[in-house]
Formats: sequence, C-alpha cells, structure tokens
Amino acid sequence: MAASVTGLLKPWTPRVLLVRWSRYNPYYLEPEPRKEVYHIPETELTPEQKEERELKSVRPIKAATNSVTSSVFNDPVLSKFVNMMMKDGDKIIAKGIITQTLENMKRKQVEKYHKAPEGKKAEIECNPYTIFHHALENCKPVIGLASIQKGGKFYQVPIPLTDNRRRFLAMKWMITECRDNKHRRTLMYEKLSQELLAAFSKEGNVVKRKHELHKMAESNRAYAHYRWW
Amino acid sequence: METRPETFSIFRTQENDPACQSEQHLGQYYTVPPSHFHTVFPHGLPPRYQQQVKTFNEGCVMVRQPALELISHLKRADYSKPTLRYLLYGVKGSGKTMSLCHAVHYCSTQGWLVLHIPDAHLWVKNCKELLPSSYHASRFDQPIQASNWLRNFRTTNEHFLSKIKLRQRYVWTKRESTEEGRPLGELVDMGVSRVKSSSDVVGAVLKELRLQAGGTEGGFRLAVAVDGVNGLWGRTTLKKEDKSPEGFDSMDPFVPVPVSLYSEKEFESCYLYYLDRHWLQHPHSQTEEGKKELIFLSNRNPSVLERLCAFL
Repeated sequence: MAASVTGLLKPWTPRVLLVRWSRYNPYYLEPEPRKEVYHIPETELTPEQKEERELKSVRPIKAATNSVTSSVFNDPVLSKFVNMMMKDGDKIIAKGIITQTLENMKRKQVEKYHKAPEGKKAEIECNPYTIFHHALENCKPVIGLASIQKGGKFYQVPIPLTDNRRRFLAMKWMITECRDNKHRRTLMYEKLSQELLAAFSKEGNVVKRKHELHKMAESNRAYAHYRWW
Repeated sequence: METRPETFSIFRTQENDPACQSEQHLGQYYTVPPSHFHTVFPHGLPPRYQQQVKTFNEGCVMVRQPALELISHLKRADYSKPTLRYLLYGVKGSGKTMSLCHAVHYCSTQGWLVLHIPDAHLWVKNCKELLPSSYHASRFDQPIQASNWLRNFRTTNEHFLSKIKLRQRYVWTKRESTEEGRPLGELVDMGVSRVKSSSDVVGAVLKELRLQAGGTEGGFRLAVAVDGVNGLWGRTTLKKEDKSPEGFDSMDPFVPVPVSLYSEKEFESCYLYYLDRHWLQHPHSQTEEGKKELIFLSNRNPSVLERLCAFL
C-alpha cells in the first residue's frame, strides 16, 4: 500500500517539522545506525547497496529515536523489553532494573562456574544475553487462541501467531509474572533474574503458562475450521 | 578452594606480600591469601568490591602508583619524629579506598596495629540511634556504629589485644569498672557486649593506644587509617557536635598523595583480568571495537568501568 502512495508523494517538508514522532510521511526512510555499513569502501558495494545509497542521498530520513545507538552493545530485543517494562515513560528506572538483572544473573552463573569441578565448567552458561534470549525463546508460544463468534456463541479457536505477537506475549507474561507473583520484599531485578534462569532451564511459571496455552489449543482442535484466514 | 597452575600472565604477579612489591609490579594484580582476607579486611572494602570477591572466589588487588608511594613512605619514615599524615585525594571512583586497603594490608603483614575506620561519614551522619554522651556534655554517641566497629577491631588485631595493658582505670557504670593492668581485649569485649557504653569504650581504646604507641618497652607501631576523613570536618546532621574528632589534632602537617584514573597499562591489565575471570561475557566486549567503546564510556575511571563491565 505504501509503495503506491509514495509514487504520488512529492518531497514536501511541512512548515512545522516532525521530529521524533512515530507517524511520518511514508516518503521518509529509516535511519541506519550501524557503523559497519558506512565503512564498506565504494568498490565492494553490490548494485543493490549502490542503489540504496543513491536513494538515501535524495530522500529525507526519519530522525533516530533516543534508544537507538551505534554502539556494538545495542540489542533491539532488549530495548523492546525495556520499553515494555517502562512505566510512565521512566526509561531510566526500567533500564536500571534490566542492567541489575543482567548483572545478577551473570554473578550467579559466574559464581557457579568458579565453584564447579573442571568437567562441569563447559556446561554452565555465563553470558546473560544468551540466557535472556534463550529464556525468551522458551517462553514463546507456538500457537495462540482467538475468540471467534459463530452462531451467537464465542469459541476459543487455535490460530497461528506472527513472530512479533509471539515475542510480545513471551515478554508480557514474563513481566506480569514478575510483578504479581513475588514476595513484598523481593526486588524486581531479583525476581526477574530467578524467572529468566528458570525459563532458561525450561522450568518456572512462565513456561508453565505457555504449556497451558498449548494444552488449551490442543483441546480446542475441533474448532480449528472456524478460522477463515 | 581450587588451586590454580602457576602460569605466567601479564596482569598477575605471584608476589603476594605488599612489602616486596616494587615498580616492576605496577599494573599487576596480586592475590590476598584467603586465610588473611577475613582477618585483615572485616570492614573497609567498598561494597561492590566485596561482591566481586565473593563472585570470583578470590580477592585480587591491583598494584598502583599511589599505594606503592604510600608504602614506601611508611617504610622509610623516621618514627622518633612526630607522626606524618598522608592524605589520598582524587576524583570520585579513582581508587582511593582500594589504595588505602592495600596500605592497611601492608601494615598488618608488618605486624602493626591497625586502626581502620571504614567510613567517617557513617559516624557523623544519618545515625538511627543517639545517646547523649556521659563523657562530654555536648557530645552525642552512636551505639550501633561503635559496637560494630569494636567487633571488627577485635577481628583485625587479635594478637594485640592480650598484649596491651591498660594504664588507667575506667568506670563504666556504678557497678562496673575496668582496672589498670587488664588486657585491652577485655575492654573491647565489654564494649561489644554492652552497647550503651560502646562509644565510651571506643574513646578509651583510642586514648590508650595513643598513650602507648610510641613507647619504648614493647612498643608497637600504630597505623590509623580513616576513610572519608573529610566527614570529620564537614557538615554534620547532629547539631552541637564537637568538631575535634576523638582527640586527633588537625591534619595540617600532611603529605598529599594523588590518586589518578587508570593509565593505559592499568586499564589493559584490568580488562585482561576481567576476561580471565570470565566476567566480560558479551561477545562484542571481547573485540577491539568493544574495548575502545569501554575506554570511551568509562574514561578509564575504575568504578565506572566496573559498573559497565558488570552488565556486559
């Protein structure tokens, strides 16, 4: 849809310039924050990359958001998680909780690593980023349920989920679980690190919730043909 | 505890005795033997460093220029003259407390009596319980801080407590008093068990040590290490508190020792140490790009670098 519209649009800049809004004229292109793309010398570019560069020199580009950095440590999944954890726009606190969580997980794993005998050392995963990604993978549901109305009644119908939806559900479950089911005195990062480590080894409440969803979908298999898309 | 093979590495040194360390060991890490660790440093280490020790299962300190300078001064100073004071100063997070702890380790290996006050700010601000002092009318005491400190003092200086004898009689309450000639250990135990008079015990301990330190018969060397010493002169939350802290004179004749941020060599060895201890886990942090970014983000400040590497 955007492709046909862009053909008609001219390079018009409004009198009041949109800076850092999320709604842009589709004519605007996405910014490229990664440094290595700009270090490729002229000779090694493929024809598509050359075309892209020429396009970028004529078209306006959207302003980059604050959360996007050219640093090598930038992680889009982690940024998404931070945004979901954020309350009232307070990203500093959310980012602080996540960094404390990563540090806590790393400390626990490194301590276990140093105390383990030589044979077991290779099995212990110390990188908090891989633990986070694997835990999130283990929490993602494969199939979801939708409420579809047929003949006056609503049925829970199993439907396939897109990748974004799966990722969103996994993160949402993780965050709600850590907010609700914790003791009054435990801090958020402590509970989050426990849950992530449990999800990494496929235990814990979040993977249990995922399995329950799968069971519900399996039990409602009969209604699968109610889905028309 | 696991035994590590004696491999040669750039950032570690086998010279674990602070007395034998010299300029060739600059920038290298030496390990504090685990047996010494709890006796020498029951308090006084920064809290993040204590967590690091617990995680890595060992306590490694970097040999740096300010600490070496301080130790060489202590070695060469003339003790018949009035005592010299050394002041470590530098920006926040540059390693002043760690240099102080290095010097304290040296002093305790040499057999001196060490009076290590972990944080003078704790004694002056934010106190939860107050008691008006029986010793001075206008002073206030802090019983919990005093009893904690006495407990740690006892752990640090075990062998001295039985040797030093009191020179004066101290009366705590109507029924309790400590006679002359009793060992110092009893005084300290009294202070730990009886929380109400613990601050008075602290005062008495300091007075005794001051009287006896320079003495010729069985005299011992006394090292006083105060962290956050500017707290003793700064603003206090307690009004009407006597500014002269427990009888020390003002700091005028002192030798300033600047503590700077990490130099390139020191940064290198810190980076290699973290790599060795499997602390830098992010795959990008182990590349050249990541290292340059760490230098840029932390500006080679030790504490900032430590906090950055914690979650990377």
